[in-house]
Amino acid sequence: MKRTKRAMGHIFGLGIFLLLLNGLYAGERMVTLPVADDPTISFRILFKVGSQNDPAGKEGLAALTAALIAEGSSKEHSYEQILDLLYPMASSISYQVDKEMTVFSGRVHRDNLEAFYQLLKELILEPAFTEADFQRVKSNQLNYVEKTLRYANDEELGKEVLSEFIFEGTPYGHLEEGHVSSLKSITLEDVRSFYRRHYNRANLLIGLGGGYDEAFAARVKADFHRLPEGEPSTVPPPAPREIHGLQVRIVEKNASATAISFGYPIGIRRGSREFYALALATSWLGEHRNSSSHLYQVIRAKRGLNYGDYAYIEHFPNGGSRRFPPPNVARRQQIFQIWIRPVPNEARLFAFRAALRELKKLVDGGMSQQDFELTRKFLKNYILHYAPTTMLKLGYAMDDVFYGIKGHHLELFRRYLDELTLDEVNAAIRRYFQYGNMKAVFVTDQAEALKKALVENQPSPIQYNAPKPEEILKEDQEIAAFPLHVRPRDVEIVPVEKVFQ
Amino acid sequence: MQKRTMWLLLLLMVVLGAGSMKAGDRVFPYAYQRYSLENGFRAILIPMKGSGLVAYYTVVRTGSRDEWEPGHTGFAHFFEHMMFRGTKNYPGDVYDRIVTEMGASANAYTTDDYTCYYMVVARENLERVMEIESDRFQNLSYDETAFKTEAGAVYGEYRKGRVNPFSVLFEELLNTAFDKHTYKHTTIGFEKDIKNMPNMYDYSLSFFRRYYRPENTVLILAGDFDVEQARKMIAKYYGNWKPGYVAPKIAPEPEQSGERVKEVSYKGRTLPIVAIAYKNDAFDPGNRLFVAADVLAELAFGQNSDLYKKLVIREQKVQFIQADNSWNRDPNLFVVYTMVKKEDDIPYVREQIDRTVARFRSQPPASDVLEETKKRSYYGFLMSLDTPGHVAANLARIVALTGGIEAVDQYYQTLRSITPEEVQQAAEKYLQKKHRTVIILKGEKR
Repeated sequence: MKRTKRAMGHIFGLGIFLLLLNGLYAGERMVTLPVADDPTISFRILFKVGSQNDPAGKEGLAALTAALIAEGSSKEHSYEQILDLLYPMASSISYQVDKEMTVFSGRVHRDNLEAFYQLLKELILEPAFTEADFQRVKSNQLNYVEKTLRYANDEELGKEVLSEFIFEGTPYGHLEEGHVSSLKSITLEDVRSFYRRHYNRANLLIGLGGGYDEAFAARVKADFHRLPEGEPSTVPPPAPREIHGLQVRIVEKNASATAISFGYPIGIRRGSREFYALALATSWLGEHRNSSSHLYQVIRAKRGLNYGDYAYIEHFPNGGSRRFPPPNVARRQQIFQIWIRPVPNEARLFAFRAALRELKKLVDGGMSQQDFELTRKFLKNYILHYAPTTMLKLGYAMDDVFYGIKGHHLELFRRYLDELTLDEVNAAIRRYFQYGNMKAVFVTDQAEALKKALVENQPSPIQYNAPKPEEILKEDQEIAAFPLHVRPRDVEIVPVEKVFQ
Repeated sequence: MQKRTMWLLLLLMVVLGAGSMKAGDRVFPYAYQRYSLENGFRAILIPMKGSGLVAYYTVVRTGSRDEWEPGHTGFAHFFEHMMFRGTKNYPGDVYDRIVTEMGASANAYTTDDYTCYYMVVARENLERVMEIESDRFQNLSYDETAFKTEAGAVYGEYRKGRVNPFSVLFEELLNTAFDKHTYKHTTIGFEKDIKNMPNMYDYSLSFFRRYYRPENTVLILAGDFDVEQARKMIAKYYGNWKPGYVAPKIAPEPEQSGERVKEVSYKGRTLPIVAIAYKNDAFDPGNRLFVAADVLAELAFGQNSDLYKKLVIREQKVQFIQADNSWNRDPNLFVVYTMVKKEDDIPYVREQIDRTVARFRSQPPASDVLEETKKRSYYGFLMSLDTPGHVAANLARIVALTGGIEAVDQYYQTLRSITPEEVQQAAEKYLQKKHRTVIILKGEKR
């Protein structure tokens, strides 16, 4: 056992990583992660402002502002010149906007550090905000909302609609990129004004990692100190409406398969012992993109209904494109969510029932000792894949600041995995998980038929292309008849062209 | 919003960054060893001390290219799924349990030219991984019921991707550009063949016997391990694997004799997407014009090209434009992709692309921009090698194409000395109208 612990301490240089980060918050506005032998330098410049700060009627403004900074001109250089300068470095400056935060990130080889940093600094501190750049960036964002999200990725569409459904009426209640009408109303002056209001020192957190020296870190800090002090862009935490029963939103479109997401707001955040107990249970129920997921085993492995089925207690954007949770999408309010990847339309209700039934079994019966031990063992090693690079470690450390974690999330996670008992995990399940009150989104065809099946609690038997073992067929009968209590007024059908309008 | 662009890239070939700065320098920064067994199995051992991790990438040099029998498109990918169904020694649930206990980051993917199975694990688990991985490659065993169940999961994968307009475009592009060669179909395969997969159980056994053989498989081991111990383990676990690879009967593609243009409709709304594809050569790091074509793709259509600045930034006629000179075992495609904002502008955008092609065919590029492109490739490659998993992942395609990684340094040596005149010659050779296929995808109006 000792040998294992010692060996694991070196994974990803974890021991070194933790040592370096201890006490390294050089003031609240900077997180540093020096790695002397890293030939690259990673930057994450984070502002605690996000789509929750969008003014009413101007939803999408935070995202548009960030896009215009990262993909526009500075006062010193036009966007064309910036592309020319970045080109030989093989570097880029990317951005990410979530509900509560905006982050600009980039990584550069140390040979090119000065030239890269000059551009990064210029773009964030002295954006030009030209009309031509504005039109280009706005058109891209509009295309994403109006066409790409509505038509080209039903899974992501379902998850975004669910988020709006759960958070409607709160500052979290709209897609980060905004809606078609709000985006169209945003002017360049809106962007300038948003930048002036929110891009200040009170909202700033600088992340710097890799092979830089102390003098450089001091320079970065001093440069960004030129931002006005300003006021924190505080928004009250979202207070999602209570959910009574099963409320369903069906996005109707021409689709041969159905994407399903469902969940409810959950009052827990990383850092607390209970969070990690719940994280263990969630991993067992539906570890993202992993065959260890129980839902995956039930719906995909045994029945071949789709490509995968997963569960979450933290926001996990673009799940189809990544394996591990990304940093800097930290939120004060999370949702518990189950994601069922597209199933044939004829199996949509069966798959939904199967997932609900598994959730009910977990809530009512808790985890078994065997599953608890296996999942604990799995996570002890698996979470170390979350942050293998300096850039990701830096992002996680910055999220620690957001959540007020004294120490480090992944370190806490591993420590609690050692300490937690099955009783604690099952107590957390009983306290935070439930299956009676939630919202569900289906992206599918023939919405009226689905609505009818839901409100009439119609059985949803399933057929296979091959013989199945008796125990599966028996279980299928229970799944097909799993009771659904849905009132007609709780089912809403929305044509896809109206979504995000 | 990286998410806006991430999905666009999913269908485009990932090309290893390339380039070199100093004459005579090796570009690949890690010392490595090759190790071969008598049965033809090869391993590339890349020790990277200190990380505590080992990336274990098994590259089977079989992909959708090897699906030469009619009605079997998509089978290499389907078979990748079946590789997780276990053996008599380690049935599927036991295999899953072992992988779960290790906390491995494990998965697999299939491409046109190869199938890759990977795990990233703590170093103390290396022998356990080798035990279960070598076992499933030699002793895979599943029944017909499991086979049919997995066919459902594969169909689900097809369905989730089919809503992406690039899936529709790419399928049409390959189907139109190729007549005989198996590159005519995508890796996921045609829907009619995917639907028929449940009936292919016997074929799947034959597929395994023919292609999953030691001569057709290369192991990439990168990370924190002892080389001598690894060699002993490889001999122990893979030494008894029986050779017997049967090469696929892939028809060569006849020379294209005229331009092909096709429109395809997408059931949904999208900005129009145009793909203009030219036939290229097979990957060969010593083929100077092939390597020059990589540079050409960047110089003519990359983010600091004149055309990008004109169409994307100044005129804002297109949302993006980019080109890819694909790296494959057999000749494939050099493709220019662009997403046009207004349908009426498609002829104008095509004309601008034609003019760019004509310019590169008639005159060499400026030497300073060429050098910057080489520099970009160099830094891009170096920065991609930051973890054992990234090192192995970045080498997988070149290993599949060549059987080793010597081609990395060969490629860079060639690239280093590419001249502006050779870029022009590459444009003359490859960007010929008679070898061109144009696909225009349009969405629904309402």
